[in-house]
Amino acid sequence: MREAIIEEKKSWGERFIQLKLKEEEIAHCAQPGQFVMVRAQKGFDPLLGRPLAVMKVEGDSFYLFWEVVGRGTKILASLNLGSKLEVLGPLGKGFSLSPSQALIVAGGRGITPLYFLASHFKKNEVPFTFFLGVKNKEELFMVDFLQDFSGAYFWSCEEPIEGGFCGTVISLFQSWLKDNYLPPGSRIYSCGPEGMLKSLYREEKIRDIPLEVSLETFMGCGFGVCMSCAVEKGNDEGYFHVCKDGPVFLARELKW
Amino acid sequence: MVNLAVNLGRLNLKNPVILASGTCGYGREIAPYLDLNRVGAITVKGLSYYPFPGNPPPRLREVYAGVLNSIGLENKGVRRFIQEDLSFLSSFDTCLLVNIWGHTEDEFTRVAQELDKLERIDALELNVSCPNTERGRAVFCSDLETLKSIVAKVRAVTQKPLIVKLGPEVKEWEKTLDVLENEGVDILSLTNSFPALFVDVEKREFFFKRKFAGLSGPAIKPLALKMVYEVVNYTSLPVIGMGGIISAYDALEFLLIGAKAVALGVANLLDPALALSVVEGIEKYLQGNKIGNLEDLIGKVR
Repeated sequence: MREAIIEEKKSWGERFIQLKLKEEEIAHCAQPGQFVMVRAQKGFDPLLGRPLAVMKVEGDSFYLFWEVVGRGTKILASLNLGSKLEVLGPLGKGFSLSPSQALIVAGGRGITPLYFLASHFKKNEVPFTFFLGVKNKEELFMVDFLQDFSGAYFWSCEEPIEGGFCGTVISLFQSWLKDNYLPPGSRIYSCGPEGMLKSLYREEKIRDIPLEVSLETFMGCGFGVCMSCAVEKGNDEGYFHVCKDGPVFLARELKW
Repeated sequence: MVNLAVNLGRLNLKNPVILASGTCGYGREIAPYLDLNRVGAITVKGLSYYPFPGNPPPRLREVYAGVLNSIGLENKGVRRFIQEDLSFLSSFDTCLLVNIWGHTEDEFTRVAQELDKLERIDALELNVSCPNTERGRAVFCSDLETLKSIVAKVRAVTQKPLIVKLGPEVKEWEKTLDVLENEGVDILSLTNSFPALFVDVEKREFFFKRKFAGLSGPAIKPLALKMVYEVVNYTSLPVIGMGGIISAYDALEFLLIGAKAVALGVANLLDPALALSVVEGIEKYLQGNKIGNLEDLIGKVR
């Protein structure tokens, strides 16, 4: 594990946190879709690291963004500017990076690895369209992240809201599909709640287009020794391990 | 310079710190983060004869000071381990222990036979105490006749030092230890994880599909220490102590009550290089206390 220093901290309400962390190796090596195991440096509570996707890299620093979902993520969220974290990474296999055109579908905190992916596409002039769905007004701040991708994004909110699409990101995406054609070589990238990924996988209109999904699971180690993060293979031949075989998978290789 | 070497009968380790089975994979996974040359031994993840898929997820749940796991002994099978990992592992200057198990007595024997041929492997550890197996609660170590039979059959096919890994589900400790001594076991390791439970209050159901899971981590350390203490009291076989060790002082507790070596489990998950800090911490303790040989410290608190 290496030390990372908190250089910037932003929070939105009590649930959403973004940290800018100084640690060169992760900043220089991380690829879109990869993650980092993160532990608060002091003490052994919680014991295990928490797997968090990299959102952005900048010089010798990288950004993490997460939602507080339990004690572990809450303790990490309570750390202040200047404190040190222990980090291990970058870990796992990221997204494929050379589609002719990309469609990106994010649900809530699932935006994290996809933001990194879209930044990569922007830099490398890969055309993409970003769809973000949030549950309620409290999560609307995430739309601001997309301003970095001017003109290439759409968003939805499940709560009625002025000026926005009301509904799930899947219905937003479906309405877009009605009027648009996807050329050969296109690819779809997604991260979000399981139900959302499932609906996307079952969408008839995109059946022939490769869909890459980034999964979120409990993890023990993050580097392949404990085999805790098992997900069923689509061919019924046992399990993948999200930390080593993923977290990004071709959706058709998984059991839905 | 202090001498950290320990002697467990026919097994000699350069230092007492072992990586426990199931927490360091097949070696390859942890090697980028930990210099395996610096540990006393690595215990390869429990191997069966055929590859085994393990339990359905969820497989892990953290609790205060501990981790519940229901991995279910997923592994690639002994032959694939030999083909894919052994030569990589062989390049390290450390002892190689391999944890083995089977669904049946015959499977235990077949795995042992495969490994017995390989000179580089220093010892076999029989897993007769995993709480997450197909047979559910009926772990092999809780049935004396079965245990005796498995050990005898494996002993008959290998000359390598034989370690038997025990756990809280041993019912009659003294009789069990007598049987293991009589059947020619060389070393004991304890403890495996404690059968435990987690209830999902929101969903009002058991968190794990198999209901019970194995608890390990600092929460079990005082329990493990007592078990090791009592076993050391009763038997003359060398004991590898384990259960919740995450610091050099934890390791020293086990050594002081008579464990000849220690194994780290959950510690490897939370920080893959933690074993090294335990080795260095023990060294520092000995230097600070002007003790030249670790062996002189073992069993000093009885």
